[in-house]
Amino acid sequence: MTVTRTDDPPELVMERAFAAPRALVWRAFTEPERVARWWAPRPWTTPICRIDLRPGGEWRYCMRGPNGEESWGKATYLEIVPPERLVFTDEFTDADGNRNEELPTLHETVTFVEHDGATTVTFRSRYASVADRDRVAAMGMIEGFGMALDQLAEELAAA
Amino acid sequence: MATTQDDLSLTFAALADPTRRAILARLAQGEATVKELAEPFALSLPGVSKHLKVLQRAGLISQGRKAQWRPCRLEPAPLHAVDDWVDRYRHLWEERFDRLDEYLRELQQEENDGPDDPPSAHDGDPHGRPA
Repeated sequence: MTVTRTDDPPELVMERAFAAPRALVWRAFTEPERVARWWAPRPWTTPICRIDLRPGGEWRYCMRGPNGEESWGKATYLEIVPPERLVFTDEFTDADGNRNEELPTLHETVTFVEHDGATTVTFRSRYASVADRDRVAAMGMIEGFGMALDQLAEELAAA
Repeated sequence: MATTQDDLSLTFAALADPTRRAILARLAQGEATVKELAEPFALSLPGVSKHLKVLQRAGLISQGRKAQWRPCRLEPAPLHAVDDWVDRYRHLWEERFDRLDEYLRELQQEENDGPDDPPSAHDGDPHGRPA
C-alpha cells in the first residue's frame, strides 16, 4: 500500500491493489454486511453498519474496540458511479448521529480500476484545510501519548 | 526536521502532565487567551502560566504579546517528531486493507468451492443435478 500526503490540497491518498475483480471489490465497499467484515482494523469490529446507497444517502457505522469503546461515523454520498467511483463526506458523530464538532469533516473519493483481473483501489481523503488536518493530527497525538503514559503506568504498577 | 535528544526530552516532559495535555487539546481546537485556558482548571493565572511556560519552552505553543489577553496558539511541529501521524494513519489503513484483502480472497474461494460441494442431505440440488 502506498500513502501519499499533500498540502495543496491537504490530502492523504492510500492506494492498494487487490487480487479480485472490480465488481466484487465494489460490492465489498457498498453492501453493508460486507463492509462490516473489514472496515474496522483488528481487533476492532463493526457491529453496526447501514448503507443507503444513493446521492444524499447515508452510510452510518459504529466501530467497537476490545474494551467496549465505540467510534461512530456518518458518510453522506455525493457521487456514486458503479463500479468506478464513490465520493462522500465523512464525519465522526455520537451514537445519535450528531456531528462531533471537534473533529473536521473529510471529503473522500474512492476509485476502482481493474487491470488483468486485479483491482487497484485509491482512497483519497481531503481535509478542508491544512489547519484542519494538523488539528486532527495534534489531537490524535495528544490522546495517543496520554494513553501510552496510562499504559506505562499500569505496567509499572503491575511489575 | 532535525530533532535533538534534548528537544524530544522537552516535548515528553511537556506532555507528561495531564493539565498540559488538556491545554494542548483545547488549543488544538483554536487559539485561546491565558484567561480562557485557566477557566476549566480553576487554576490561578500564575498557575496556568507556569504550564504555558513549559509548553512554550518545548515549542508546542506560541504566545502573542499583550499580557493576559495574549492569544496562545498550538504549534504542532514538535508533536510530529514524537510520532509521525502519517505512520499511524498508514498503520490503520494497512490493517483495514489487509482485512479487505483476506475477505476478498475468502469470497472468491467460496465462489470457486460452490459447484464442487458434495451433495447435501436435503432433496434436490440447487444446481439442477439429480439428488
